[in-house]
Amino acid sequence: MLNLSPLPEFHSRRRWLQTAGLGIGAVAADAMLAESASSAVEGASPLAAKAPHFTPRAKRVIHLFMNGGPSQIDTFDPKPKLQELDGQELPKSLLETLQPTQRNRAGRLFGSPFKFSQCGESGLSISELYPHVAQHADDLCVIRSMVGGIANHTPGLLLMNCGHPALPRPSFGSWLMYGLGNESENLPGFVVLCPGGMPTAQSRNWTSAFLPGIYQGTHIDTGGSARELIPHLTRKDIRPGSQRAQVALTQFLNEQHREERPGDDRLDSRMHAMELAFRMQTAASDVFDLAQEPQHIREMYGDTLQGRNMLIARRMVEQGVRYVQIYHGAGQPWDGHSNMVPRLRQLTKESDQPIAALLTDLKQRGMLEDTLVIWGGEMGRTPTTQGNVRDINRIGRDHHIDGYTVWVAGGGFRGGVEYGMTDELGMSAIENRVPVHDLHATLLHQLGFDHERLTYRHSGRDFRLTDIHGEVREDLLA
Amino acid sequence: MQRTRSILVLVPLVAAMSILLAGPGRPALADDGADFFEKQIRPLLTKHCYECHSEAAGEREGGLLLDRETGWLKGGNTQQAVIPGEPDASLLVTAIRYQDEEMQMPPDEPLPAEAVKLFEEWIRRGAPGPAVDLAESEFSRLGDQHYLSELASEHWSLQPLAVTELPQLADPIWNKSPLDRYVGQRLHTAGLTPSTPADARSLVRRFTYDLTGLPPTAEEVREFATSYRQDADAAVERKINDLLSRPAFGEHIGRMWLDVARYADTDSTYRPDTRTPKYLPFAFTYRNYVIDAFNADKPFDLFLREQLAADLMGYPEDAPERAALGFLTVGPHVGRRDDEIDDWIDVTTRGLMGLTAACARCHDHKFEAIPTADYYALYGVFASTKRSDPLRESELPKIHGAAPVVTAVAEYEQKRKQIDAEIKGAGNSKTKNNNRSIAERIEETDLAELLTFHEGGPVRMMVVRDVDKPITPRIFLRGEPANRGDAVPRRFLSLLDREQTPYPVDTSGRLQLAEQIASPENPLTGRVFVNRVWGMLMGHYLVSTPSDFGLQGAAPTHPELLDWLTLDFITHGWSVKHLVATIVRSQTYRQQSLHREEAATIDPGNDLYWRAERKHLSIEQMRDGMLAVSEQLNRMRHDRPQPLWGDDYSRHRTIYGFVNRFNLDPTLRSFDFPTPMHSSESRPESIVAPQALFAMNAPFVIEQATTLTDHVEFKACQTDGERTDWLFQQVLQRPATKAEVTRCSKVVEQQSRFFEQPRSPQVHTPWALVAQALLMSNEFQYLD
Repeated sequence: MLNLSPLPEFHSRRRWLQTAGLGIGAVAADAMLAESASSAVEGASPLAAKAPHFTPRAKRVIHLFMNGGPSQIDTFDPKPKLQELDGQELPKSLLETLQPTQRNRAGRLFGSPFKFSQCGESGLSISELYPHVAQHADDLCVIRSMVGGIANHTPGLLLMNCGHPALPRPSFGSWLMYGLGNESENLPGFVVLCPGGMPTAQSRNWTSAFLPGIYQGTHIDTGGSARELIPHLTRKDIRPGSQRAQVALTQFLNEQHREERPGDDRLDSRMHAMELAFRMQTAASDVFDLAQEPQHIREMYGDTLQGRNMLIARRMVEQGVRYVQIYHGAGQPWDGHSNMVPRLRQLTKESDQPIAALLTDLKQRGMLEDTLVIWGGEMGRTPTTQGNVRDINRIGRDHHIDGYTVWVAGGGFRGGVEYGMTDELGMSAIENRVPVHDLHATLLHQLGFDHERLTYRHSGRDFRLTDIHGEVREDLLA
Repeated sequence: MQRTRSILVLVPLVAAMSILLAGPGRPALADDGADFFEKQIRPLLTKHCYECHSEAAGEREGGLLLDRETGWLKGGNTQQAVIPGEPDASLLVTAIRYQDEEMQMPPDEPLPAEAVKLFEEWIRRGAPGPAVDLAESEFSRLGDQHYLSELASEHWSLQPLAVTELPQLADPIWNKSPLDRYVGQRLHTAGLTPSTPADARSLVRRFTYDLTGLPPTAEEVREFATSYRQDADAAVERKINDLLSRPAFGEHIGRMWLDVARYADTDSTYRPDTRTPKYLPFAFTYRNYVIDAFNADKPFDLFLREQLAADLMGYPEDAPERAALGFLTVGPHVGRRDDEIDDWIDVTTRGLMGLTAACARCHDHKFEAIPTADYYALYGVFASTKRSDPLRESELPKIHGAAPVVTAVAEYEQKRKQIDAEIKGAGNSKTKNNNRSIAERIEETDLAELLTFHEGGPVRMMVVRDVDKPITPRIFLRGEPANRGDAVPRRFLSLLDREQTPYPVDTSGRLQLAEQIASPENPLTGRVFVNRVWGMLMGHYLVSTPSDFGLQGAAPTHPELLDWLTLDFITHGWSVKHLVATIVRSQTYRQQSLHREEAATIDPGNDLYWRAERKHLSIEQMRDGMLAVSEQLNRMRHDRPQPLWGDDYSRHRTIYGFVNRFNLDPTLRSFDFPTPMHSSESRPESIVAPQALFAMNAPFVIEQATTLTDHVEFKACQTDGERTDWLFQQVLQRPATKAEVTRCSKVVEQQSRFFEQPRSPQVHTPWALVAQALLMSNEFQYLD
């Protein structure tokens, strides 16, 4: 029989099944191995660190997710013409360009009440809502022409995270884990921070779908404590010393058991996993212990929920976590259908200084150059009000998917750049439209992957994050 | 007119034939044309087209290849791209002229006018092909259904089941059962010898866990060891019969089936305002139908027919058999009808027959002989089938003879009355910031939760029914429902029914489909299931891609054995218990699992079965096993799904636990429990730290350990030796060695002073550390 689609070894399911049992391999290839004086575990574990397709420009991702859909018009995409026409009726011809749901409830044109200024040497336009972030203007690659999907939260979130608006598909972070393995010895490689609960669409945002379950993101409610980092992280009912004695007893039994059963690497791997788990209890708690940071660093981030989130994220990537996604909060806090103006002031007040601190901190540690920091939501907001509300404090904007803003800093993206363009009212992206799949392809490219080759065979087909789409947008890259 | 048309058809045929006949060299006559192609046309193609339409670039957008004559003559997904001699009729010319808004090539900008003229001239000359034509290659044949169908007609899994001559083995013990003779012969040919039988304790642990998902008691191990010494075969036979007659059998093998059936107690979405998952309150009746069917040894073909078509088989409306339809209804429903039907097609074809038909939704299958028409033929069957609303009780019949827990009924009814009153009181009012009604919110939250979890609630079935007027499906081009193509009749896959007989016009055809799947003539169904059972019992599969028996799937390591087992299974009335017994009584299964260096050199993957596989317990086996050894396990059958962990965790078996598809439990997840979004092929064994953290820190495990040390027999022990021994017997079903007694006593002695004032009243003795250490051990978690 002709083999119509030879599977490269990397993707071969058979090989996967054979090696899946070989344990944490390289991850735990440390002192514990030497200590147990046994043969080192060869072969790839599903979490062993792996090399990507080519030399990467970026090694990790911090995705700042403004869930709910931030208004590009009030933050990074100034529309002077819109301000000029503020309060006027939207021309019929333009009404047609809105999505059906939004069309029915669109109000009048709504110019941003926030002032924009030229920032940095590049002169990037950023609104007064982000005074601290503005100081990093020259590091930002602001994509003003994001397009895609369906103008609602769940499809938008799933498209941005998993590349498909409805069907269960693996998330970006899961693909990354599948492609790169886990570099951290003591922490999960893909972490999702969300204070107060979960974002809309919940765990579907970080699902591994048909990829093995170990590639799923680990959700942490940062409103809670370190104990929630991983289920069953610690126990308080016995002393740590007692637990050490207990683990040692188990390992004594395991050692005997293994002696009588040579040639089964899984037994070694289980023993290593237990040692790793024991150390994780401390390490995972440590990463949340911000008291270990010097005071000036803590002050730079600010002792607030968002500040602590950003600082935790930095501590995690420092420990080798590949992908940290930070949601602003549970549900969809950025969903400004009404009361948007005070709400935006509040949300940016909470996150502006922490985001800037994160960029500063990564930069001073030399980490920004190989870290992709992404800011954005699952969509943007309309240039019109929703409904005919006039009161500036009650006014809001509706969902919008044709020309919204995402910015990327670091990881080899160009800095101080405004890429793409929306029309003068902000109704549509008219230049260099960037579908979500293109953003994914480009991010994967920076991480060392050809998005068309990062595939997984499922149900008789090779799947990838970008489905059958995606183009690397070289223009975005330095 | 008629003549002209026939010429048009003939020309490409002749051209195509000349290529096939000509081979690498071409007849001298064509040289001029080839010259024109290479000099005038090829450069244009290279520059403007090959990026998307050539094998060199690995692209065939729209299915079209322009690097060979067959490519443009056959055309892409739509039609022939070039009609030699007829530029105006050629699609390629239409596209480069930018005449049709839907079809403009190259997509970025039109070609210069001279280039268009050259193409027209080339076609007028008969569109001569290249000097060295690529002709057909593997690449050009991707999705070539004719070619794939030829491959399929010779593919192993589509051949009828065949009886082959049984090999003769010298070893009389191995020569007894056909299974062992097939395995033994392969071992012999490879220069391998089988391993000796496992010791009695390993064997009975293996039997008990493999057949019931539970550990034996220490007493059972001792009894078996005694009788095994007297007459090994008789002891094994008795043990198998004993285990197969326990209700625990169905609870164990049933879970394997629920993996295939992507079972869960909720849907894949939730209500955003209340964050309530969409409950499937009566999914449990399908789960219990599966358990009962395996326990009653319901013939597997009947089991399949009922799951697809119990409503069409003449059973009364309230017959328990109708709960089988949960096979369709407990799946995920992302919201779109075509996605729901896609799920049904996938679970039916991949889950039952190992065919990846769902790939043919948007285009003909690229790698299998499954054209899009086949997909939509099945689509019609399921589009003519209506799923009941999982919350609308009027659509969900009660099961005859099934009753809620009597003592809970009064409380249920009181709560129900209260909720019903709230719904009524809400009238038509809407929720705030939402256009959904308050009544609906109460139905989807309070009422759904009551129905899902309250033991006093009614016991209903999640049925389907045929629609009044069956739907004639149309192909959705590129999978888009708005994009209608040709109509196809409802019928079976052409791969399995070459005649393509349409189903009767007045039915959905679901019953006919069920019969064609559950037929002894179907070459796939029996093999696929036998392979699943084999894999579950033996630790790896005869066909290593259990849900893919197509051209892309793996070949069987033992084709004759697979056929023999399948035929034996079918001729024994599709009896699953017979199949299981046949496998586990074999010498092959009874081997010990020890590594042998000389054998591993020849067959490192143990593909030939020179030893048994050492198997890790599944999360269900582990949880149930811990409850069993601490004697907390409640072995009763259970209806409503229950919490697996937490303060009020269930003592029932794990299969009765609540499976939230929308937000799958992280512990299940970390132990390789499959995501119930798709039919699961098999469970991998991953080894990750969170599994160890579970064993070390989960309150559930700690409680089993402390229950052991609170046991009256443990408390009656007088010495450390007795205590250690009792714990080992209870957890590992063996006595402790001297070294183990010493070591455990030492730990207890060292730790005692910290337990004079324990941190928690629950863990009040250092012996609890020892008990848990045993539960954490590899010996507990692996079956030799």
